[in-house]
Order: sequence, then C-alpha cells, then structure tokens
Amino acid sequence: MAMRLWASKSASYLKISVFNRGFATVLKDLKYADSHEWVKVEGSSATVGITDHAQDHLGDVVYVELPELGTAVTQGSSFGAVESVKATSDINSPVSGKVVEVNKELDDSPGLVNGSPYEKGWIMKVELSNNDELKTLMDSDSYSKFCDEEDAKH
Amino acid sequence: MITVTIPNFGLTPFQLTSVSLKRSSPCNQVSIFRCPLALLMTDDQKRRCDVFDMHNELVPYADAWSWQKSIVEERKKLIDSDEDLCDSLVILQHPPVYTLGAGSSEDHLKGIKNYYRTERGGEVTYHGPGQLVMYPILNLRYHTMDLHWYLRALEEVVMRVLSSTFCIKASRHKGLTGVWVGDQKVAAIGVRASKWITFHGIAVNVTADLTPFKQIVPCGIQGGQVGSIKELLRESLSSEECGEIHYTDYELVNTTYESLIKEFSKVFQVELCIKPISLANFLEKKTSPVTV
Repeated sequence: MAMRLWASKSASYLKISVFNRGFATVLKDLKYADSHEWVKVEGSSATVGITDHAQDHLGDVVYVELPELGTAVTQGSSFGAVESVKATSDINSPVSGKVVEVNKELDDSPGLVNGSPYEKGWIMKVELSNNDELKTLMDSDSYSKFCDEEDAKH
Repeated sequence: MITVTIPNFGLTPFQLTSVSLKRSSPCNQVSIFRCPLALLMTDDQKRRCDVFDMHNELVPYADAWSWQKSIVEERKKLIDSDEDLCDSLVILQHPPVYTLGAGSSEDHLKGIKNYYRTERGGEVTYHGPGQLVMYPILNLRYHTMDLHWYLRALEEVVMRVLSSTFCIKASRHKGLTGVWVGDQKVAAIGVRASKWITFHGIAVNVTADLTPFKQIVPCGIQGGQVGSIKELLRESLSSEECGEIHYTDYELVNTTYESLIKEFSKVFQVELCIKPISLANFLEKKTSPVTV
C-alpha cells in the first residue's frame, strides 16, 4: 500500500501515468455509482454491493453494517457501512427503494466483500421505487474510465 | 464527483481570517462560514482548518459526538450544492468513558455496562482526563481520498510529536492501527468517513490514569499494553539518571497540545485558525455549528 502510494505520488510529480491496479474487475452487465457501488437489476428488484475497485482500496473488510429489512433507501444516501483497519466508511445506495433482503453471511464472513465483491459479497436487495434512476448510473466502460481517472488524481 | 480547482473567474475571494498559526481572539460564537468549495484556501494557498481548542476541558462524550455528527451532516448537504465548510479539528479531553466501534465485540468490554456504541471503526477504548483527543473533520477530497493514507497520516502526527517534543521513538505495528512505543500503545485511532468527510479520530495518552484500560481488552488486542507520554518520560528519565526534571501534568498536556497542532498542520498541510472556546460556549452552540 505504501509502495503504491509512493509510486503514484512520484508518478504524478513526474507527470507520467501510473501503473496501478487497473486490473480491478468491472462486470459488463452491472450499473455503477461514482461512490463505487454496483447494482444488478432484475425487473423491479436490484442487488447492490461494492465494486472490486472499492474493496481493493479498502483492504480487508472486518465488518459490514447491514441495513434493516424494510428500510427505505434513497439514491446517493448512505444505507450501511464497511469497516477495514479501524476506519468505517459509508456505503451509499445507487438506487431508491425498499430493502427486502440483506446478506446475513456478511455478519460472520465480512471478507466475502473482498473475495467475491460481485457475487457472494452482495450486500442488499432492493425493491426499486424508480427505475428511471438507473439512467443516472454508469455502465461498465464509463465506470472503468472513472476509476482510472480517480486513481490518476492521487 | 466534485473537483476542487483554484477559481479563475475574476471574483473577489473571501477574506479568510488567518494565514499562520496564530490565535484568533477568543470567540464566543462557533463561527464557520460556508463558501464555494474551491475558495477554502488561505493567502499562501494552504487549505484552512479551524481548530476548536478545548484541550484543558473535559467535554462530555455525547456532546462532542453529536457536535461532530451535526457538522458532518451539514457538510454533506452543502457538498451536494458544491459548497462546503472549512475543515475543522476539535481537540479536547473527555470525562471517563468507554466507547465501542461499529463492529466491536462486546466481549472486549469484560462486563462493563456503561459505554457508547459509535459508528467509528476500531474496537473498544477508554477516554478520560489526561488523554488528548483530536477529532479532525476533514473532507478527504481536499487531501487524499484514501482511508489508509488518512490513518497513516494521523499516526504520523503523533509519531512526530513524540519524536520532536519528547525524543520518544514511536513506531507502527503492521496491521494494528495506532502509535506504539515498544509494545505499549500510546495512541489509539478509530475513524468514520461519510462521503469522504471524516470524524472521530485519535486519542493520545498524555498523563491519563491507565488503570481503566485494564477493565477492557483495549482495541481488542488480548494482552496488549497501553502507555502514556508521562510514564514513558518517567521511565526514560529514571534510566538516564539525568537529574530531576519535573513536568506538571498541566505542563505536559499543554506541551503535547501545542506540538500536536503544529505537527497536524505540517502533516496535513493546512493553515490552522485556532479558536479557543470554553466548554460552556461549546455546549450552548453545539446544536448550531454553522453561523456566518
């Protein structure tokens, strides 16, 4: 981590592009928020998690704060949190709706978020209240580009 | 995504009140003015950070916590409309209290019933008189959007204080966030970031009575030892036989405070605007942190 930071600082001083984890996986069929959550839409229901890019930045996730069932979530607002190395950060919902299921496996195995961010590490399922919001999210290509730009800044 | 740039549209920037580490006149009001995100710079282009100095006050935990949360919520709302408040730093002491992080195990409390369950990271810890607690409320978009960097930077502040002011060599233990001298933990960290606005922070044992730490498993580290600057100085002075040097607790706390804010401004590259505030004024104003 320190090496990567040193490398990116040196690179930005020298104005060269950084060789970084451009290999973080981005899946084609998902939609992405600029706060690094993904959403998989199936009809009026959506599964939400955090991206490979996010989990890589966080490091080992030791705790996931899950929302309560039935909670209303709003696009862009916090619905839970993830903790790694003494720092807890909000996770924001990429969609609005009602929480209908949460991944209880994460209580005992928060590391699923790291190991399988798009499958076993899913965080919640939401009954969508506004499918139009999906248009404001990024597709996989835009999200990949967004991550590259964000990493290049620091 | 908010991009902070130096504005170049011909408007007169805000006149900011301080360009160096000087004390502003003690203010009866908590005043933080809002301005467009890009203009939160001082004249020499360092970002401004307001310091609410209560380093000799025992601030009830609940009040400090709710004050932080109200500032964070205000900043999050402002950020949606491309505005923000200055970064701020609260430095204070607490009356004796135990707190848990969001994912902390209650087992580490060893039966203690009175505690606060908070939203920060990290495990159980104790705060009490003689321990300086810093709560930086920073927008990491101005610094580095990397929580690991932030934790290392907080550790760096304390490590520099120990080294430059007390000649104490501190270290990091890989995988265990915090500041260590040998196998004693002198500073504990637990933070929360919400849309990249940080709160909670770091607690440094200066002259604190360390007995309350024995009632818990501090930071969830079984067998972990906790130290303080006072005890470390006592050990090093007695071993060096360099004669009697007496620091009162009051002097030690003040010296540590001065050093902490100096090193904080260097590590985070901010210009500090010190606002001493009495506990009474803080408690009165804490529900309305934003006044212009």
